[in-house]
Amino acid sequence: MKEAHHGEGDKKTYRYGMVVDLDKCTGCGACMVGCMAENNLPFRKDNSDRTRSMLWMRVYKISNGRTFPNSDISYIPRPCQHCEGKDHHHATPCVSVCPATVTDYSHETGIVSQIYTRCFGCRYCMAACPYHVRVFNWWDPTWPKGMKKYLNPDVSVRMRGVVEKCSFCYHRLQRARDKAYAEGRAELHENEYQTACTQACPAGAINFGDLNDPHHKVYKLKKDPNAFRLLEKLGTNTKVYYVSSKAWVRKAGNAYTGMQGDVVIPG
Amino acid sequence: MKLDRRTFIEILVGFSAGAGAGIMLTPVNWKIMDDMAIWSQEMWPRYQLGGLKGKLPERGKVTHEDTVCKLCPGGCGITVRKVKDRATKIEGRDGYPVNNGGICLLGASGLQLLYGPWRVPGPLKRSGKRGSGAFGRISWEEAIDEVVHKLTDLRDKGEAHAVAAILDSDRGTVPQLFSRFLKAYGSPNFIRTASDQDTYELALNLMQGAEDSVGYDLEGANFILSFGSGLIEGWGSPVRVIQAHSKWRSGNGDRARVVQIEPRLSNTAAKADNWHAVRPGTEGALALGLAHVIVKESLYDPMFTANHTFGFEDWNDFTGKIYMGFKSLVLTEYSPQSVSDITGLSPRKIVALARAFAEADRPIAVWGRGKGTTSGSLYECMAVHALNALVGNINKPGGVSTRPDVATQPWAEVVQDATACTCFNMPRVDGAGSSRYPLTKYLPDRWPQVMDGGNGGIKALLVNGADPYFTTMDSAAVAKAFEHIPFVVSFSSYLDETAYHADLILPNHHYLERWEDMPTPVGLHKPVLGLLKPVVSPQFDTRHVGDVIMTIAKSLGGKVADSFPWEDYKTALKETVGEKWGALEEEGFVEDANPASEGSFGTPSGKFEFYVTAFDQAGMTMRKDEEYLPHYAPIKPEGNPVLYPLLLVPTELMRLADGAVGNPPFCTKTLEENELKGDGLFVEINPMTAADYGLSEGAHATLATPKGKAKVLVNLTEGIMPGVIGIPKGLGHKAYDDYLAGKGVNANSLIGVVEDPVSGLCATWGIRAKLTRV
Amino acid sequence: MDSASLPFDQALFPEGTKRCKLKWFLLWIAALHGPLTVGAIAAVLCWGLALNVTNLNNNYPFGLWIAADLGVIALGAGAFFTGFLRYIVKIDELKNIVNFAVVIGVVCYAAAQGILGVDIGQPLRGWFIFWHANVHSMLTEVAFCITAYFMVLLIEYLPLVLENRQINKLGFFHGMAHHLHEAMPAIAAIGVFLSFFHQGSLGGVPGVLYGRPFAFREGFLVWPWTFFLFILSAIACGPCFTILITWITEKCTGKKLVKRNVFDILARISGRLLAVYLVLKTIDTIYWIALADKAGAPFSSFYANQPYGYWVLVLELGALGVIPMLILLGEKTRKNENLLILACVLNCSGIFMNRWIMTVQALAVPVMSFDKFVPYIPNWVEFASTLLFVWAGAIVISISYRYLPIFPQEKELNPQ
Ligand SMILES: Nc1nc2c(c(=O)[nH]1)N[C@H]1C(S)=C(S)[C@@H](COP(=O)(O)OP(=O)(O)OC[C@H]3O[C@@H](n4cnc5c(=O)[nH]c(N)nc54)[C@H](O)[C@@H]3O)O[C@H]1N2
Ligand SMILES: Nc1nc2c(c(=O)[nH]1)N[C@H]1C(S)=C(S)[C@@H](COP(=O)(O)OP(=O)(O)OC[C@H]3O[C@@H](n4cnc5c(=O)[nH]c(N)nc54)[C@H](O)[C@@H]3O)O[C@H]1N2
Ligand code: SF4
Ligand code: SF4
Ligand code: SF4
Ligand code: SF4
Ligand code: SF4
Ligand SMILES: [Mo]
Repeated sequence: MKEAHHGEGDKKTYRYGMVVDLDKCTGCGACMVGCMAENNLPFRKDNSDRTRSMLWMRVYKISNGRTFPNSDISYIPRPCQHCEGKDHHHATPCVSVCPATVTDYSHETGIVSQIYTRCFGCRYCMAACPYHVRVFNWWDPTWPKGMKKYLNPDVSVRMRGVVEKCSFCYHRLQRARDKAYAEGRAELHENEYQTACTQACPAGAINFGDLNDPHHKVYKLKKDPNAFRLLEKLGTNTKVYYVSSKAWVRKAGNAYTGMQGDVVIPG
Repeated sequence: MKLDRRTFIEILVGFSAGAGAGIMLTPVNWKIMDDMAIWSQEMWPRYQLGGLKGKLPERGKVTHEDTVCKLCPGGCGITVRKVKDRATKIEGRDGYPVNNGGICLLGASGLQLLYGPWRVPGPLKRSGKRGSGAFGRISWEEAIDEVVHKLTDLRDKGEAHAVAAILDSDRGTVPQLFSRFLKAYGSPNFIRTASDQDTYELALNLMQGAEDSVGYDLEGANFILSFGSGLIEGWGSPVRVIQAHSKWRSGNGDRARVVQIEPRLSNTAAKADNWHAVRPGTEGALALGLAHVIVKESLYDPMFTANHTFGFEDWNDFTGKIYMGFKSLVLTEYSPQSVSDITGLSPRKIVALARAFAEADRPIAVWGRGKGTTSGSLYECMAVHALNALVGNINKPGGVSTRPDVATQPWAEVVQDATACTCFNMPRVDGAGSSRYPLTKYLPDRWPQVMDGGNGGIKALLVNGADPYFTTMDSAAVAKAFEHIPFVVSFSSYLDETAYHADLILPNHHYLERWEDMPTPVGLHKPVLGLLKPVVSPQFDTRHVGDVIMTIAKSLGGKVADSFPWEDYKTALKETVGEKWGALEEEGFVEDANPASEGSFGTPSGKFEFYVTAFDQAGMTMRKDEEYLPHYAPIKPEGNPVLYPLLLVPTELMRLADGAVGNPPFCTKTLEENELKGDGLFVEINPMTAADYGLSEGAHATLATPKGKAKVLVNLTEGIMPGVIGIPKGLGHKAYDDYLAGKGVNANSLIGVVEDPVSGLCATWGIRAKLTRV
Repeated sequence: MDSASLPFDQALFPEGTKRCKLKWFLLWIAALHGPLTVGAIAAVLCWGLALNVTNLNNNYPFGLWIAADLGVIALGAGAFFTGFLRYIVKIDELKNIVNFAVVIGVVCYAAAQGILGVDIGQPLRGWFIFWHANVHSMLTEVAFCITAYFMVLLIEYLPLVLENRQINKLGFFHGMAHHLHEAMPAIAAIGVFLSFFHQGSLGGVPGVLYGRPFAFREGFLVWPWTFFLFILSAIACGPCFTILITWITEKCTGKKLVKRNVFDILARISGRLLAVYLVLKTIDTIYWIALADKAGAPFSSFYANQPYGYWVLVLELGALGVIPMLILLGEKTRKNENLLILACVLNCSGIFMNRWIMTVQALAVPVMSFDKFVPYIPNWVEFASTLLFVWAGAIVISISYRYLPIFPQEKELNPQ
């Protein structure tokens, strides 16, 4: 299928992305579990060390740093931001550094891929990603007896020593495309390709779609005056937008650590 | 050849040169390199996946099957994605009337519970000491025989009333089969595990004359005043409430205002428009303070109070005696200033809140602390519910009604034999329905305290769908009570704490393996009947608990057997559902319209009673007028404030299941680093208070209460009131698996039971405590 | 001389040199195998049990290993730079130390590759870096150049092996050594080219991380300033490392091996380069502070996480930069052997510190405002497997010293 697309300048391109409504997000964690269940993420007896735990979707809890009873918290669900980068020199942070072309920015879909079987575990991409998106398999994944039965055959299991991350549930795009192809359609409907976390979110806080498509919800939502992106100033040009009516939350998302006059502390 | 220096050197040089050239030229090393790389990519997962063939988990035909989630009282519709015969994913079911496509993290983890190796593999009989975890497999026939023998024995001795059953619910065919069984057998001891339903049902019975729990039209309301309810944390039907929250937040003109009353910045508080931290346990006073303002400023619904309520104004009986009405009570006792003194909330805020609530179109006052897993204070519940009556938002769209069920076919009356008749009329083991607590149905937290309600104590206990050993407050008392029960039977599919301490385990099918009905979920205002269908074939040697109970009844013979005319559970289920079965099986659910209509109340007065007349009817004579009315009757926490200067309140984390189902590994993985670290559970404490005790973030500390002691870690947060410690519920399992057992402490082991003086239910909202650095 | 009292392997020694008894030599080699075995065990643990045996984590994908890697390559710069000075700038005196510089280079570059072999999660796929090369990645550039340069180093090392007294007797090897010597200027030139590139690329590794404001630098064409700073710092410290190792070898063998004027040439060059480096580094630092500040990351936030306070900056640029520079620049101080060695030690430590800062501290600084600082201290596995290459290097140097004609001045300085 890939070959067929070569040289087709007029090929339609998509910019799949998300708009997460932080006013709706309750921090419930269903997106995290939805993602783990969908993407065959392993678990361990003790996962309490976040620096070694594997989550493709991580919901951060942040606080406004004020004292009781003026304190406030918010949640920031953080999948891979599928950074587009600015230009050739500032390409997707993780993509440009990977020595083995394991990870790539697709200009057709806007999705940053990861080929686990090619990754040799140098972890340079992790150093490049400012969002702590990429996680390393510090252990061989194992499942208790019988539990392998629930594994999703559409997503390969990863071995130790390689890096993995959120794929925007790429296999769901493939599934949707296969279906559309079988039905003789070139276009996908908005709801045909939705990520597992979007689907799992009981609050409907995660919106997913083509940021370029005026008919998609995300197209309108990203233009909300309260919309922002994480660390926008870095120029990573992410495709995950957030909306919050709380100014301190918008500021926290946009700021570097220690930004002057900032009172954001990790929840 | 003599090895002289020269030859040595020659051999050495020659060998090195040869070896070097050899290594470079042979293809073996390149081949090995290549193979190793391939092995690392392909053989590796092949090897790891053991039982499953292929590089990837086995492929096959993909199907989707709808059923209902049973992991909490939420009753969400779910869709299971299957690959051949394997269930590979659980998702929320689109279009389901409760959760329309949504799911929670626990529901999404369901397959870990289905396929987890800590399932009970088949009937087990205890082989070692109680609680040692030593069990041996027996056959189903042997297992059922054991139960039948024991029950026959007790009945023959005229001790049928010494049998008790503890279930998670009293609605639906399975709980009804248990209750029917006990009735036919001769025991009054059907016990439902504790929840806010206990108190709400009683309050509705007293105030509205309804034998039902509450339903809130959360989607239709536009002002939600929550008295400590963990709406976001998992209150009622969790997914449904979170979806309602999103609706409240949507900017399309329908935006609702949410106010949370709570001493702690819970997620509900954080998501609310306003968060008012009142002193724990004073929520009821605040409700009455709001009532004061509403009455004083005539902001109440004059039509509703005039036409459909009793006891709002002062009244006199036929003797001419004057009784105080709700109006006078709140006007005299609950001025903003006095309520401010109790709650710590400023009078200005009280007045503003009261006005905002009363002036809203469709305001709802929600009661039920946290996720609603404790019973709570009756008068507090009544005080909050009185607010709904004041604004007249009862049995209306966007208001509060009784929780209705889809109508089903009633079963034929049980015909009791003589033994059954005698024993059934013996006092209950928990004291519910006794002259002291005539109106209370179940006292789940009380039986371990009394162990014997004048009935001789439990001699055989059947437990289904519940884990009372873990979830009941005052763990030490529960453990002791269990020790006194000679025969404990669990029907659990998991090796939970109760099963772990049972003599026999007769494992039920997992919820994805069985048929069952799911009546209207907690808190819902519209009748929905859902259907659980087997999505996968039983993974272990389990049996449907409905079938097992019927088999036991049939083996007991006589009238007991006669009460169970059905061939098997599925037949019983079909007959119960009646003509709706076809639609139910086809669609997976059926809906009815809410039958409740405005102004229809089953009270003696036929009206909504601020002044409860049912007390007198039940023979509960109160000492003072105000005791017939919603009023502030503080429930004092246990413990000496000098020895225990702090207040410990149980809290709930929405990523931690604290009920009968142990937290699955996926959910535990989502816990934050300041909630669980290794096996250490964090308690929340305000930095100011922590400073008094020299406690820093992450410090190890001993938490002591009059009920027990535990090692905990300290999480400093500005989100909790100074002087208060928050301890999350749901950890501290000893049973279950390596992924849960041994992590944290059980909050119930630190908190005792304080009885509500009127209902006898557990009204505990906290306990006095101290925290010392270790 | 009584041939029985001569070492058993005496025939292999360089012409006219004295070495200790084989027994003592083997004992020394055996002693080195002690810590080497510990290191080997650590490496085997990494391969067998996966990298969870280290203290690395998702916040610190790079730790001691990568810092050591970058450091050891910088130290190895003595090889190509001395070659450059000897064969291209034609400072003839340096022929007396260039051989040893090559040996040290081989050890350093072998160590760097060895450490990487332990560091990567799937060592069996290490060659994917060549097979699936991504031309945009600094690491690809590094891998190709280092591998190529390592081959160059081996080719430079080869004549030394061939000039072993016995091997050299074989006509073919003798001729080969001769030809290699002839070609040495050309080989050295290739080496210089490759080295400049990979030293620079190693600087590029952190410098291009524009998601990490602490490490990120603007630059020239496709290269961030760190590219050039790394080259400069490497050639400013490489010669000092060569002096240091030569000095240590002298102390171990109890002989003078190189004349002091050779040291002096290297030290002087090192001092001047260090001075240039420090000026540029200071400009870079000021520019970086301004840039970061403009982008909203106040400079102070980079140093707000203990143990990474401002002292880091002071130590790196002051104690480990300015002080050795002053010693090396001053004629008198430089000629004082104790001070010279002190300067070499400080200079080499400065390089390690700089490489640690550019990799580990760069990752330690939280970027998102709600991110938490997490401390990292390497554990024994990381230390042991890193030091493994120090012990292995010592063995290679010992064997090379014993059997190969590395020091042309040895005979003259140690008359029989
Ligand atoms: N020992 C052994 N070896 C075999 C076989 C065997 O039976 N035994 N079978 C052979 C056969 S028939 C085949 S087809 C091959 C299959 O071999 P591979 O092609 O290696 O197949 P997968 O293991 O499925 O791995 C493909 C990888 O691509 C990732 N991926 C998925 N979708 C995308 C995408 O859209 N873009 C990118 N960039 N990556 C994606 C996956 O996550 C996965 O890591 O194996 C062959 N090798
Ligand atoms: N779980 C899982 N399923 C997969 C895949 C996966 O990665 N994981 N990959 C998919 C892909 S890419 C492919 S190509 C298919 C492959 O799917 P299949 O074609 O089913 O492949 P195999 O299971 O490797 O082999 C089929 C059978 O051929 C037999 N066989 C071997 N040699 C011969 C022979 O000489 N003659 C005859 N008559 N029989 C022989 C083998 O014993 C085996 O029973 O599977 C697909 N399905
Ligand atoms: S968020 Fe991180 S992993 Fe994802 S594309 Fe951006 S840099 Fe890469
Ligand atoms: S760890 Fe894997 S994906 Fe990341 S840079 Fe290295 S090879 Fe590429
Ligand atoms: S998009 Fe898919 S892979 Fe990414 S976080 Fe969501 S569920 Fe996980
Ligand atoms: S599932 Fe939705 S509401 Fe829950 S944490 Fe994720 S984004 Fe937030
Ligand atoms: S809310 Fe309850 S019923 Fe609904 S999915 Fe979650 S656990 Fe299941
Ligand atoms: Mo294939």
